Amino acid sequence: MPILEVNQLQKSFGDIHAVQGISFSVEPGEVFTIIGPNGAGKTMTLEMIEGLVAPDTGEIHFGELNWKQHAIEIKKKIGVQPQSSAMFDLLTPKENLDLFASFYDKARSTAEILEIVNLTDHQNNQVKKLSGGQRQRLAIGLAMISDPEIIFLDEPTTGLDPQARRNIWEIITQLKSLNKTTILTTHYMEEAEKLSDRVCIVDQGRVVTLDSPSNLIEKLTKEREVRLSFQDGETAALDGELFSNQLESVIRTEREGTSLKLWTLNPEDTLLNLFKFTKEKDYLLEQVSIREMSLEDVFIAYTGKEWRD
Amino acid sequence: MNLKQFKQMFFAQLRMTFREKQAWFWGIFYPVILMSIFMLIFGSDSNEEFQTQVAIVHEQPNQTSELLFTQLEQIQIVELKTGKPVSREQAEEWVKEQEVSAAIVLPESGESTSVELIMNKEDEQSTSTQAVSATLDKILHQANLAIVGATPTYEIEYVSVSAGESNLDYSDFLLTGMIALAISQGGMFGMVDLVDMQRKGLIKRLRMTPANMSLFGLSDMVMRLVFSIIQIILLSLIGVLLFGANLYINFASLLVIFLIGALSFNALGYFFSSFSKTTEAYMGVANILSFIMMFLSGIFFPIEMMPDWLQPVSTILPLTYFAEGLRDSMVYEVSIFSSSLWLGIGILTLWGICAYLLGSWLYKRKSLVSVR
Repeated sequence: MPILEVNQLQKSFGDIHAVQGISFSVEPGEVFTIIGPNGAGKTMTLEMIEGLVAPDTGEIHFGELNWKQHAIEIKKKIGVQPQSSAMFDLLTPKENLDLFASFYDKARSTAEILEIVNLTDHQNNQVKKLSGGQRQRLAIGLAMISDPEIIFLDEPTTGLDPQARRNIWEIITQLKSLNKTTILTTHYMEEAEKLSDRVCIVDQGRVVTLDSPSNLIEKLTKEREVRLSFQDGETAALDGELFSNQLESVIRTEREGTSLKLWTLNPEDTLLNLFKFTKEKDYLLEQVSIREMSLEDVFIAYTGKEWRD
Repeated sequence: MNLKQFKQMFFAQLRMTFREKQAWFWGIFYPVILMSIFMLIFGSDSNEEFQTQVAIVHEQPNQTSELLFTQLEQIQIVELKTGKPVSREQAEEWVKEQEVSAAIVLPESGESTSVELIMNKEDEQSTSTQAVSATLDKILHQANLAIVGATPTYEIEYVSVSAGESNLDYSDFLLTGMIALAISQGGMFGMVDLVDMQRKGLIKRLRMTPANMSLFGLSDMVMRLVFSIIQIILLSLIGVLLFGANLYINFASLLVIFLIGALSFNALGYFFSSFSKTTEAYMGVANILSFIMMFLSGIFFPIEMMPDWLQPVSTILPLTYFAEGLRDSMVYEVSIFSSSLWLGIGILTLWGICAYLLGSWLYKRKSLVSVR
């Protein structure tokens, strides 16, 4: 049974249709990532799920629970790290955690959370003196204080340096190992690909596609890009291009000087034939590569938009 | 009520206020500085005898001049510079340099009937010069009477009265005014936190938790009252110890006017926060109102000193009644059953309730747009 089920959510503000029928369900223990261009309706969808905004139409179920009848119970089950990492700047991380812990009947120990988010050394500094990454980790710590079943992380790594991002990835991996369900939004494709069990791409208030990162990439990549560069000058490269064009699996080619790019539906077969040809001709190849497809390509293919970090 | 949650919330609020340097500056130091400045300018201690230095020119002693000289010497408010008469040139020099408030030139012969009083043009209106002139006038008047052998029939007797059991010194007046001002500002400026919390998304963040928001509001209120109690105690101590204010406190009246006043000004702050999108906007509104009230509510000087056309404005401002109420309960020891106290309490309550209702209405209207 899904831990969270979202059915045909809609939300409009006057003429602006922010969310136009989003549906998905999340299984216990998975990392579920929502990605989409700015203004796609990600945050609005999250805020509806978190109970901050009531949807115009549509349903949200946390197992048996819904917002209308079980608001307090749901709030006890979920932990939220909002985009604005709002917390009390004049309090220390320890005091912030203690305060938030008092909101719940059961809470994890403050010391334990500080350890997990790696803030034990800074527990007595006022929050206003923390760095961006430290603040973000504290925001995640605050979301974890009640030991929630579902944790929402809204762009937890935006604006952080690579090291700080990696720290947060570790926390998310830890949550997964504790069998918690994480709902994540992010601006970084690499992150979505690395961390998520399933990715939901949202654009213009609709779900464009939803699957595991590898399935999404596989579905998309009917053709792969292969690059070769020839050591024996342009004539060799030209020869190679002419040969490739005769192969059935090759769709098109592109040549620039000694380097050749070709798009093929069957990279193994194409390369095998090419190597036979170069061996016969005694051409030497300098570099051979098959470009890896990433979630970014999936994103571009589905939304028609360039990805900007 | 969840006591554990309330305790955590209250101590969090208290810590934040104590760590906010602005709260200390505007809540404690600012009123103390203002009070000190006004005391230094207007509050010369009335218990001390007035005294001023004069020069006396007594170049050709004769019977009349000797008589006047001994009389002048006996008068305590005028003190002879260097203790003995000087030459006319020296006296004029001192007057020019403003080293003495005036020079008195005694008659040079028995036949001469005039006594010259040399004053500096710039000082003509000053209190000390006026006093010297009045004193001299009185002495000459008495001398005249003595010569014709008459005794004065009428004398002025000065008695000052005040509504209270003791005389209201300026220091008492100012101290109670400053306490009223400090507490009102605490309420009106303090609610900027609310704007800040909203802007930062903290209110939203708390609403994602099962936290009891009315408990959070209550903890904020209680913390503010605690801060105001600290203000009232600190300012009273400074007023009494440093500026010699005399307090005769009726604690029941003080408690009522304090609670109503503090709550009403908090409600005003709450109202400002309901329509301010940024902390700057909030501070602007709070500053304008507090500035107007500071000068029109009888904090530094009595309302009666203002022009007649301006006085009606004072009678609608809440700070007028708060300051009066504090004066009644802290200086005049007015009992809790006094009708004037309750008139003030009524008007303060009215302000508080209106501000609270308007603020709540604006908040509700805003939330219909964006939140559930």
